[in-house]
Amino acid sequence: MPGRIASFFRNLLRKRAIEQALDDELKSAVELLAQEKMKQGLSHPEARRQALIELGGVEQVKEEVRAIRSGMFLETFAQDLRYTLRLLRKSPGFTTVAVLTLALGIGANAAIFSYIDAWFIKPLPYPQPDRLVIFETQDKKHGWTSGGVTSAADYFDFQKQNTSFEQTVAWGGASLNLTGDGLPELVDGGRVSWNFFDTFGTKPILGRTFTAEDDRSGAPHVAILSQGLWQGRYAGDPKIIGRNIAIGGEAYTVVGVMPGTFQFPLMGIANLWTPLALTDMQRADRGNVWLPAFGRLKPGVTLEQARAETATFFAHIEKEFPKTNTNLTWLVSSMTDRIRKEEGGPEVMICFIVVGLVLLIACANVANLMLARATSRTREFAVRGALGATRRRLAGQLLTESLLLFLVGGVASLLFASWGMRWIESQIPGHIRGYIVNYGHVELDFSMLMFTLGITLLCGLVFGFAPAFENSRLDVNHTLKETSGQTSGSKAGGRLRRIFVAAEIALAVVVLISATLLVKSFIISVRSSPGYNAANVLVAQLALPKTKYTEDSQFRNFSDEVLSRIRALPGAASTSVASHVPFGGFGQGIEFQVVGKPLQPGERQGAPFTAVSADYFSTMQIGLVKGRFFDSSDAYGTSPSIIISQTMARQLLSGEDPIGKKLRLGEQHSVGTIVGIVNAIKMYYLRERPGWHIYVPLAQFPSRTFGFVVRSSGDPTIMATAIRDAIWAVDRDQPISSVEPLENLIAAVNTGDRVVADLMVFFSVLAMFLGAIGIYGVMAHLVSQRIHEIAIRMALGASPVHVMRMVLSQGLKLALRGVAAGVLAALGATRLLATQLYQVTPTDPLTFIGVPLLFAIVALAACYIPAWRGMRVDPLVALRYE
Amino acid sequence: MGKERTDLLRGTLDLLILKALALEPLHGVGVSRRITQITAGAFRVSFGSLFPALHRMEEKGWVEAEWRASENNRRAKYYRLTSSGRAQLRAEERDWSQVVKIMTAAVEST
Repeated sequence: MPGRIASFFRNLLRKRAIEQALDDELKSAVELLAQEKMKQGLSHPEARRQALIELGGVEQVKEEVRAIRSGMFLETFAQDLRYTLRLLRKSPGFTTVAVLTLALGIGANAAIFSYIDAWFIKPLPYPQPDRLVIFETQDKKHGWTSGGVTSAADYFDFQKQNTSFEQTVAWGGASLNLTGDGLPELVDGGRVSWNFFDTFGTKPILGRTFTAEDDRSGAPHVAILSQGLWQGRYAGDPKIIGRNIAIGGEAYTVVGVMPGTFQFPLMGIANLWTPLALTDMQRADRGNVWLPAFGRLKPGVTLEQARAETATFFAHIEKEFPKTNTNLTWLVSSMTDRIRKEEGGPEVMICFIVVGLVLLIACANVANLMLARATSRTREFAVRGALGATRRRLAGQLLTESLLLFLVGGVASLLFASWGMRWIESQIPGHIRGYIVNYGHVELDFSMLMFTLGITLLCGLVFGFAPAFENSRLDVNHTLKETSGQTSGSKAGGRLRRIFVAAEIALAVVVLISATLLVKSFIISVRSSPGYNAANVLVAQLALPKTKYTEDSQFRNFSDEVLSRIRALPGAASTSVASHVPFGGFGQGIEFQVVGKPLQPGERQGAPFTAVSADYFSTMQIGLVKGRFFDSSDAYGTSPSIIISQTMARQLLSGEDPIGKKLRLGEQHSVGTIVGIVNAIKMYYLRERPGWHIYVPLAQFPSRTFGFVVRSSGDPTIMATAIRDAIWAVDRDQPISSVEPLENLIAAVNTGDRVVADLMVFFSVLAMFLGAIGIYGVMAHLVSQRIHEIAIRMALGASPVHVMRMVLSQGLKLALRGVAAGVLAALGATRLLATQLYQVTPTDPLTFIGVPLLFAIVALAACYIPAWRGMRVDPLVALRYE
Repeated sequence: MGKERTDLLRGTLDLLILKALALEPLHGVGVSRRITQITAGAFRVSFGSLFPALHRMEEKGWVEAEWRASENNRRAKYYRLTSSGRAQLRAEERDWSQVVKIMTAAVEST
């Protein structure tokens, strides 16, 4: 082997000398053979001729020997490469189109892949992330899960008794009011068990994490900051550890700073953490399911073992506390899976599949271009074949060409990819990014480069094989004997190209139909009325700190005073307030029972719950269906009134008149009377279906969270400053979460759908464009090959119109086959989109008719130019070239 | 007939070349003639197979090449068996007789 390696390098280095030696050797062999022949009496020229025949051609033997030599493949490759570069330079049009097509196709894939990578492939950024699991309460009988929360008493009992977990952690997201050191600021963060950071395995960059002592109710207040908050609000104070800061009007001592990379996607953006420090009463609460919790498995304990222990544990709890825990157990699921299932996963996957189809189209297109070029190079290959190039060598040459083309495309694609990645990232608002692993920040990293290189080479090989295989099958004699210039190309080659184009069109139809469905669904969801008029509405959201505002009357006074100040502003046409507004923060739900219709034991029902001022419905322009809105009669101290959504009225009290019915609400069991029915509104999500909703008067149900809703006659943003001032005039230290037009709040929530819709439009335009280029290319090539035949037809009396019809019908037939296949494939594929569609069925007839029709038209247009060229063939000119 | 037979068994060509070179160094044409001679004309090796085989053996170190004058004063590339080439020849001869024995037994069995 060493000898072989040595000769490999010798061959590489002494290429010229070796070539020379080989040449000499064969020349001498010819001489020796010729001498033999001359001895037999042949003349010198005749002897040489016979010698050459016996040898089998000097060049051919050389080729055979070269193929044996180690290191030869490299040299051959270098030769092919040089040749290819020359070729690509010589046909800049072809090169540009092919490289651009590939760059777009591969680039789009790489950009989307980077999100797939962030979402689905990269592990969560903690040590041994697969040992982290999420707990949530599950109803065994009805199958519902609590959405990631548990009851506190269940949690603490489990924490004490379980043997499967190294650590268990409870936490809650929180918006914390930072005052002092500048303007009041609402900072997103969390209240967490003392072992929160230790369980993740993340170390602070300064100070320490919480201790068990910090987590006791009544312990001295401590807080941990994020690197961002420390460097921002506190200007990177080197003495931050031990410094006192004011949270919600109380003093907290900073004990640690967490690195900027620490992130817990279920908590969103978080910059400030304080210990959970639950009171004994809170810890003993078994009836309410509200506490998010997770744990870290002990080494060696499997998820199944942990699940089994949990099930046994809750079977006991169920027996012990039948009142609260009938049918309840815990669902234990991997944190990784849980986070991936959160918002965005399906959308990213859909984009990835669609963009994969676009890449296939692009590749088919380039393969087609190469096939077309290869057929016009048959003579070149025949000549090289005659000069001793083996089939393998010729196929290698074509494969080298395709690989080089794809590689250039792949490199160019990185430009598109980084641009596309940045575009997508710029479309995701910061506060949503917090819920995405790695903050939704992606970059041109190693795995992405590997992915790009991988698909580039794979596509280059797969799609390069078609032309390579096609041309290496050439019959040298046959091709060379054909009259020069008349390159008919093999029949099989033509068929391959037609199959490629039909497949390309079919794929494009699938892409276009899927994209149209998604875009249509998006447009419908945006256009459809949310149940209120969001235009010209400004929303100011805030939460009163618990420390400063303790009495219900304080909440009322605060909101009354702010309302009267805002109403006094010029431009405020209508102003009201709610405990929370659609697409805002602070959303909450409430459990209820219909008086006179008791629920089964263990059964619960709930609905979103909003406390509103009397004129909220008129400000928001929410339609009244029946009964009345709230008015001044629904004041503090009177019997509670309730307004419910129409959907709820229909589903809960089917057939009965809801007005006058009584509901028992929440823990306090306050009983209210239904006085009105309003239209269902969208609260969280534009694709939301009309849902249940309970409204109560704010005067009767005090709230410390507020969304002030101001409808103005024109652009509402100009009032933002005045509204802030109005609030600060009432309480100088009150932080304001946001003052934003309602339309912006909606748009922010709708980001994912909008990005997907934008991408779909881009992908479908690309797909259609590529499909059109494909069919144009094939038809143009077909016509140019048939010039001769067309000329004869015309000489025999065919009219130009006839020729045009012939070409068009041929092209159309090809296109229609592709379209038909595409429609069939789409019928199967779009079912996967069902969950993403809003008021559009996966087999939406309009889309399934419109897209194929559009494609037929595009195909006709693409065939028109070649057809027109065919029509203008001058028989005299064409035939004279014979 | 003979010409087709050259591809008959893979490895046969190597054995024949090694055998041809066992006696004395030869150039390419000489190897071809020697093979025809020792096989009593049954094998005629095409140069398209012979030269690649010689170069392959040279790379494997079974033969060495040197340029010297031929019988009629032409410069020619002579191939000479190395010691590892001789070892290879012995090994291939052994293998061959093994194959022959097995094949004969197989063919003659009823």
